[in-house]
Amino acid sequence: MKKITQQKEFGIGLVVIILGVILTVMSPAFFTTGNILDILKANSVLGILAVGMTLVIITGGIDNSVAAMTAAVTVVISKLVVVMGSGTLSLLTVFVIAILVGACFGLINGILIAVTKIPPIVTSLGTMTIISGITLYISNGEYVNSSMLPAKFIAFADYKIGGVSILIFIFLITAIFTWFLLKYLTVGRDILSFGGNPTSAMRVGINTTKVQIFVYTYMGLLAGIAGIVQTAYNKGVDPNGFSGFELTVIAAVVLGGANIMGGSGSILGTLLGTLLLGIMQNGLILAKINTFWQEVFVGLIILIAVSYEVLKRKREEMKLSKVEIEV
Amino acid sequence: MLKLSNLKLSKEWILVVVLAVLFIFMSIFAPGFTDSYNLTNMLFQIPELGILSLGMMAVIITAGIDLSITYLAALIGVIIATCLTSGMPIGLSIIIGVITALAGGLINGFFVAYIGVSPILVTLGTMTFFKGVVTLITKGNSISGFPEVYGAIGNNAILGIPLPLILFGAVALIAWYLLNKTVWGRNVYMTGNNPIATMFSGINTKRVLIYVYLFSALMAAVAAIIMTSRYNSAKVDLGSSYLMQSLAVAVLGGANISGGYGKVIGIVLATAIFQVLSSGLNLIGISSMIINILIGVVLLSVLMINFFSSKWESVGKQKTI
Repeated sequence: MKKITQQKEFGIGLVVIILGVILTVMSPAFFTTGNILDILKANSVLGILAVGMTLVIITGGIDNSVAAMTAAVTVVISKLVVVMGSGTLSLLTVFVIAILVGACFGLINGILIAVTKIPPIVTSLGTMTIISGITLYISNGEYVNSSMLPAKFIAFADYKIGGVSILIFIFLITAIFTWFLLKYLTVGRDILSFGGNPTSAMRVGINTTKVQIFVYTYMGLLAGIAGIVQTAYNKGVDPNGFSGFELTVIAAVVLGGANIMGGSGSILGTLLGTLLLGIMQNGLILAKINTFWQEVFVGLIILIAVSYEVLKRKREEMKLSKVEIEV
Repeated sequence: MLKLSNLKLSKEWILVVVLAVLFIFMSIFAPGFTDSYNLTNMLFQIPELGILSLGMMAVIITAGIDLSITYLAALIGVIIATCLTSGMPIGLSIIIGVITALAGGLINGFFVAYIGVSPILVTLGTMTFFKGVVTLITKGNSISGFPEVYGAIGNNAILGIPLPLILFGAVALIAWYLLNKTVWGRNVYMTGNNPIATMFSGINTKRVLIYVYLFSALMAAVAAIIMTSRYNSAKVDLGSSYLMQSLAVAVLGGANISGGYGKVIGIVLATAIFQVLSSGLNLIGISSMIINILIGVVLLSVLMINFFSSKWESVGKQKTI
């Protein structure tokens, strides 16, 4: 068994802990159950999307359309809940449809990327423009507030299990399931081997087209879930509110140690990355630092974290080559 | 025997055809499209996007991407605006703006070339950083009220040709010269094609990359000067909508996202296509949201056409073998 210090997630975990300790010393309000739960709840959308993005990045791809897909799903939900009435069953139907809509978007991405072999970064840029255009056209860019949502939906949004919001449970279940998928299911192992070396993966008989389509469809499905969580968290829908969020999602995954070139990445790392971004945002507010500083810090942390990863990898490669020479 | 390959048009000629067809189509169907008012308006709008796309293209040729370009432009714009409103002379303000640009480009270049972090991550980080610095300086407000002479850069015309367009022309010519006629330009294409082989042939790829990011930062500076002058104000989202558009223009203009290919003329044509498409559709009365959807569709279709034509070509080759 590996020592804790040698685990890939050790670095980011340490940063999260140090930041947590500093904040606890600076502000007594930080390390309270209420505040921690608030951080988790406020970042569950980011977390869910980042978990899906981890799989995409492991395959060496990227999905710029996540924010657009999530926004589209929130608009679909806001239209459907009004039409469907307010029974429990109809609410469930809305959720299922929302997730399916997300999955369909993802499937389109997946087919375009896997079949036409156009680089994911441009493909998803194209679908992002199309999806957000359609969303704005349908919603007219109008905001939906809580008074327009049925009481049943508001009740769902406020539902708590043992004092913990259901949104946090949805986030954690998604994360745990994806971790399980990546570690124990065949498709998860296929994703990792495809990311490590697409050509070898194909030669050992993995259907690489299927793997790619699966990854992007799964990403879309999670965007559907994120859309539900977002609508519930906001108790409203802002069709414009998500533009640029895809970059925060990518940042969370990268901070978690995933290699943007593909091949490596872990759900635990991504969760820590999400947590780091969330704690920073929360901490800056608690420490009464002007919120204008926030993005400066986030930008610097991204730069430092990725540079650290790259330098570490380089040093490891140097060690390997030295060993070869000695032998 | 008539060979099909002789009939095949280069990427740039396809763009010329598309532009001509679109222009004729819009002239017929969009009311007021050929009015001098609309035409001058279009000529005023083309340069900002075109100049940013040139910067983006240079980075794409080296298999990179510059997500920070629009927020760097916003930062430069805000710094120039701050200098101007505090009473500095215009020349000095612009020089300070250019120094800001060089510093920004140097940061990007340093992380990409010397540390070896992938460009998308570096520029993602610097994008957030620049955006943060801009918000910090402006406190979320906009800075406005520049000297009238400064406003001339973006709004005046010489002999009926808008000044921004003249600037765009000059910048495009310089970019063409740098990329095609200088050693650095050749090295940029070589680095994009195969960085390792280029390094082993004795070329300092790190320096090539640094200059590429300095180049895109300078493009951001020119665009920032035009934008601040045209809008007579600067704030955090100055030109932020151009990020995805400049990427789309670069790809539509034929730049290969995996590096090695991209031409200045392609960018100029693609920018013009974008402008004709959006102005024309706007005049026909199609909502701007639909126009955005169509731009996405155009982007994806161009990529698919490229894919299928190259696949078709390779199938043809296999048959002859």
